[in-house]
Amino acid sequence: MSVTIAIVGAGPSGCYLAQALGKLRDDLAIDIIDRMPVPYGLVRYGVAPDHQGTKGVIRQFARLFEREGVGFVGNLRIGDPEHGADLTLDELRDLYDVVVLATGLSADRTLGVPGEELEGVFRAGTLTRHWNDHPDEAAHNPALGERVVIVGNGNVAIDILRILAKETHEFEGSDFGDHHATRLEQTAVRTIDIVGRSPAAHAKFDPVMIRELGKLSGVRIVVEDLDDATEGEDKRLAALREIDGHGAADAAKTVTFRFGWAPERAAGTDGRVTEMHFHNASDGAELVLACDSVITAIGFEDDTSMNRSGLVGRASDAEAGVVEPGLYLAGWFKRGPRGTIPENRADAQALAKRIAADLEAAPPSGTRPGATALRSRFDTITDYEGWLRIDAAETADLPDARCRRKLTRVEDMLAAARAKTET
Amino acid sequence: MDITILYGTETGNAEMLSEDIQSHLEGDHSVELSNLSDFDPGSFDKNRFYIVVCSTYGDGELPASAQPFAEAMEAAKPDLAGIHFAIFGMGDMEYEETFNNGSKRMEDLLTAHGAKKVGERITHDASSSDLAEDLAMDWADARVAEAAGLVEA
Repeated sequence: MSVTIAIVGAGPSGCYLAQALGKLRDDLAIDIIDRMPVPYGLVRYGVAPDHQGTKGVIRQFARLFEREGVGFVGNLRIGDPEHGADLTLDELRDLYDVVVLATGLSADRTLGVPGEELEGVFRAGTLTRHWNDHPDEAAHNPALGERVVIVGNGNVAIDILRILAKETHEFEGSDFGDHHATRLEQTAVRTIDIVGRSPAAHAKFDPVMIRELGKLSGVRIVVEDLDDATEGEDKRLAALREIDGHGAADAAKTVTFRFGWAPERAAGTDGRVTEMHFHNASDGAELVLACDSVITAIGFEDDTSMNRSGLVGRASDAEAGVVEPGLYLAGWFKRGPRGTIPENRADAQALAKRIAADLEAAPPSGTRPGATALRSRFDTITDYEGWLRIDAAETADLPDARCRRKLTRVEDMLAAARAKTET
Repeated sequence: MDITILYGTETGNAEMLSEDIQSHLEGDHSVELSNLSDFDPGSFDKNRFYIVVCSTYGDGELPASAQPFAEAMEAAKPDLAGIHFAIFGMGDMEYEETFNNGSKRMEDLLTAHGAKKVGERITHDASSSDLAEDLAMDWADARVAEAAGLVEA
């Protein structure tokens, strides 16, 4: 019998790990488990809907299931029953020789400043999942208003900015839902201020994300706080200088980049945000931006549902992602909320080598049953065939200029996944 | 013909396409596949035809697996006169300005050392609805046909 391996989390790290393990050994029975009925995690729900090229890695991952014999086990939540899990980690470990946790870090970091709880203060991860039609955020109903302040200077902040700045027709070819595009059109955002704590040269976004804004047709872009920016991170400053002044002066929307401002507090009336206050770290100057909403995009952290800190704490080699032979951590769940999809690919390849070496050193004595046991115990789980039916439902009868219309409710996904067997 | 496919990849997409091209050509040719990061610039062989698949990453840079190769080329400065290659790029038109720069850099690197390009370099756009393999197989067939008279057997 094959060694059974469960990878929890069907996002890019979990899929790359399965791919790398399959290239090292051909006698592994690998299942990728996800709490959602559908695979691909962050690629489906985190990568921006208008970045379909980036989502193209899905074609690699599909091969795992279609050609490499990897199993998909969807709609099964592992972890703490108090967080709604179907199966505890220990129970899963009883069923698989090797378990790897690759569930990512999806909770939004908070600013930790007064006023953050005001109505009208939104978080980037929640908003991104909402715009990507994640069922958890289907009910999220962000009333953004005309004046939006984005706090944060990473690629996620730029994704948010770009989506807010786009005209409806600029979503052609994406899978951004019509309902979201219509909502944004009605919101009629006029000003978007994007404020970073660091000076421009140390902003975290990639220069190419700034260059991409040069294609936007309905927006004026202004870059403040560049004057005394030092040279050094040349490409980032060059991209900002190039984008400064983009668009017509009378464009319907204006984007203003501001650098070097630390968030101090959100202020409001009647429980609703009306101003965001910042101070300049170097000279103490104050900046107050009147606004209808604030979106914080300052990174991600653990949502505590998987006892990550406990696992990392007892890891025999936390750096490599080894809790103990037979239990591993991968991707952001292991390394923290840093690094792009390709960096996590390299990371997954390194972890695969470690797992293979551990298996070599101490082959599992009795092989555990794997997916067979899961399928007999849970009749609610979905498989890859089910995902293909969901995929077909999402890509049939498309509205104009969209490449997909996602199902937004888990029950609709489950119905679509079952559709064929019922007829 | 003896063919070596070399790929420079960051996300694995170029690696997958290279595997597909290998499967496609294998019936009629002897085809080896290598990651550029594992390929020694000193081992180019006039009796082989090289098909390079190279993506673009970041702000128009070479992908991660091509960077050690580029450094080794700069250090070794091999004479590639008599070496024939064709190159297929992968990019994303969402990033229009730099969309095919990775493969362009790789082409320039090889020709600067004397290698000769066979046929045109084309670049697949990840944001288009075309699949890379739909473009690449016909392209590879055409390049292999052109190389038949050029590569020393």
